[in-house]
Amino acid sequence: MIPGTVHTLMLVATVAGSSPAAAAPAHRTQQLMPADSTYGCVICHADKRRAFQQGVHAERGITCDACHGGDPSQVEVAPAHRGRFVGAPGKLETLRLCSTCHADPDQMRQFGLSADQLAEFRTSRHGQLLITQGNMDAPTCTDCHDAHLIRPSTDARSNTHPTNIPATCGRCHDDAALMGKYGLPSDQLARYREGAHGVAVFQDRNFAAPTCTGCHGSHAALPPGIAQVTDVCGRCHLTLERAFAAGPHGRAAAVSIERGCLGCHSNHGTERVAPDAIADLCASCHGAESQMVVLGGEIQEQVQRAEEDLTLATEAIEEMAAEGHPVEDERFRYVAAFTAFQQLAEVQHSLSLEELEDLGRQVRSNTSIIRSTAEARAEERWEHKLLLIPLWFLALSGIAFASFKLRELGR
Amino acid sequence: MLRRAFQATKRIVSDLWYDITSSVDSSLLGSARFLGLLYGPIDRSLRINEALRKSLKYRLAPHVGWRHAPGGITYLLFMVLVVTGVLLALFYRPSVEEAYPSLQHIVSVRPFGWLIRDVHHWAANLIVIALLAHMARVFFEAAYKPPRETNWMIGLLLLAVVLAFGSTGYLLPWDQSSYWTVTEVMHAIGHIPVVGRGLADRIMGDVIPSGATLSRFFALHVIVLPWIAFALLGYHFTLVRRRGIAPPMEQPEEQPRWRGSGLFRPEDLPEDGVPFFPNHMLRSFIVGVLTLAVTLTLAILFPRAFSAAADPYLIPPALVSTWVPVDVSLALIRLAGSWGLVLFGLLGVSLLIVPIVDRGPERRLTKRPVVAALGIAFFVGYVALFAAGRIMGTVPPSASIGGGMEELPFEPTRPETPLPELDLTPPAPSGEPVPGGVR
Repeated sequence: MIPGTVHTLMLVATVAGSSPAAAAPAHRTQQLMPADSTYGCVICHADKRRAFQQGVHAERGITCDACHGGDPSQVEVAPAHRGRFVGAPGKLETLRLCSTCHADPDQMRQFGLSADQLAEFRTSRHGQLLITQGNMDAPTCTDCHDAHLIRPSTDARSNTHPTNIPATCGRCHDDAALMGKYGLPSDQLARYREGAHGVAVFQDRNFAAPTCTGCHGSHAALPPGIAQVTDVCGRCHLTLERAFAAGPHGRAAAVSIERGCLGCHSNHGTERVAPDAIADLCASCHGAESQMVVLGGEIQEQVQRAEEDLTLATEAIEEMAAEGHPVEDERFRYVAAFTAFQQLAEVQHSLSLEELEDLGRQVRSNTSIIRSTAEARAEERWEHKLLLIPLWFLALSGIAFASFKLRELGR
Repeated sequence: MLRRAFQATKRIVSDLWYDITSSVDSSLLGSARFLGLLYGPIDRSLRINEALRKSLKYRLAPHVGWRHAPGGITYLLFMVLVVTGVLLALFYRPSVEEAYPSLQHIVSVRPFGWLIRDVHHWAANLIVIALLAHMARVFFEAAYKPPRETNWMIGLLLLAVVLAFGSTGYLLPWDQSSYWTVTEVMHAIGHIPVVGRGLADRIMGDVIPSGATLSRFFALHVIVLPWIAFALLGYHFTLVRRRGIAPPMEQPEEQPRWRGSGLFRPEDLPEDGVPFFPNHMLRSFIVGVLTLAVTLTLAILFPRAFSAAADPYLIPPALVSTWVPVDVSLALIRLAGSWGLVLFGLLGVSLLIVPIVDRGPERRLTKRPVVAALGIAFFVGYVALFAAGRIMGTVPPSASIGGGMEELPFEPTRPETPLPELDLTPPAPSGEPVPGGVR
């Protein structure tokens, strides 16, 4: 961390062109706060008052002059704007101002924050555009984090909360005109929302699923290269990556012959491949006549069969449960079958038909026991209905006897 | 050959019948007597034999016929419920943890447990229908008029008891369907203006149906209500005997004969009456056998499905009611709102008041337009509301709060087809709009 700090400080110096020692100290004792009525800045800048009373900076006692300079104890414009007054900082100036504290490990340590944001930002496409090319389309700190109302990312109202990150990035990346200038697509946000990751984040509130920053990085935002995609996905999908690497596709991806995970799944959409589309997907690269499509068809058959077995087992369990039979054992077997099915989904990335067949057998043996139990129950139910025959035979003969007798009495 | 066999069978049957009829006059209790039960001091002091023979010889007025059957059917179904209920109580355990598993045990392990349970369920439904049919007959035939007005009141109390039996028994399976239907019924009670909410909480003993509710519903169902029902039934039947059966509608009420005891005196017998034995006995036999056969058939063919064990945290996406009054109240709340429920309840209560107001000797329906209108509104309304509730009634009103909560299945798709459009708009980013503001 220490060599990094020196490096960062040097960077700050080059970016801002001024000494870090000139920055205002972050902590003062006995100071006026923007909430106080005698605090000078908010007499005119009343619109900023509410914004700056909340958020992490206000909680830490950081006041307007920490970034903007000037003298909050003055109530008139001219004396208040004296001193190292900054006013509204530009994009590069903002970067310098934030980095004054946020690139300083000694100040960040107490909050458990890293101080490498600026260093990371310089490596990102955003940073390259802003710092080296001076391109004002590129975002600076406040474009993503807000200028005054900065909340921790655990706060659901924060721009950097997992559910808000896609919209935060989308402010620019959803803008077709702006992205068109750089030859970038602008449909990432829409595709992400509909994809497996987007559904997990927005619908299931599963914040373990990645948002934009999960794959691209936040301050060091860059799209991963083709060679890196498998590693990026493999950070979460560990077992899939292992299975993939063991198979022929993985070996080809390792020497950059093909595109890793992106060969079959899209990057922002992250769709699952439907079980009945596996062979077609193989054919889309290998050609319909290829030997590989035959293998793909066999894999597809295994997956589809296992899925069908599971569906039938679910129906059998529901049927038994609706009749009031205890189904704990069957549910336990179902979990065993489902575990094998999940392994099957993993192992298919290695294209090893032998392993797939073995797992398919495990699914089948467990589900067939469930189904045979259900069939025995259905047979019992059928036998119950046979009771209707003696029941109505007795009832009708009784009624016939009685009504015969009644008619006789009536005469 | 065939004819001879038929003749022989016929002769045997008629001999058997002669034996039975002849033994009735002398000693129907022959077998009991044979066992020595009715000889000696018991028979001499209580005169059971004499009482039985008297009641068998009892003559009913000639107009008494098939339309008087629903009352008997109601009683038969009540006895069916008592017997099956006792059998169920042997294995049922009234606690949140054990209620559902104990029912699974009854249905899947106990011999004929499945039948007992479903007969209990179906008899509970059919008894409401039989009871209302009996009530409609009494109402439209003006059988509630003096001197039988007390019995009409008792009958209405018995209706309330039967409905209370149903509402308390409904919770006992403690599965999702029963749990949320009782929640619905409690909501319906909560819809009663002013007092509703507090009343519902008192009934449940909690703010939602819980273990406290299960305990008190069980106690009501198997201890409190049966005693009330038996007491009311005893009173009901006694009054039927003392006041007699109402004359036909065209005929005005004759002078009431106030009998000193429940037993008839031979001089009271209508000259043209039909004796209870064997005529009415045979009719009762036919009706009883049919009732039992229908109940058993329904139980065998349409068992009540088990839903998952009750879970207060999981609102089912759809509820299918399996008890008649639930459909009725559901239709009322949906179609007419909470005041509609109250008004229909008041209409039911007005039937209680009718015998107090309507005491004239007129018995023909055309001469009693107000009463006829009230009765038609209630009985036809009940049937119509039941049908309406049945048709509309799968999703309870309270399930709407869970509208967004049910899981949307994740549909795997092919890479090139887009996923179905879901409304996943994230909340607008908070704070003031920044870009540009700072620049």
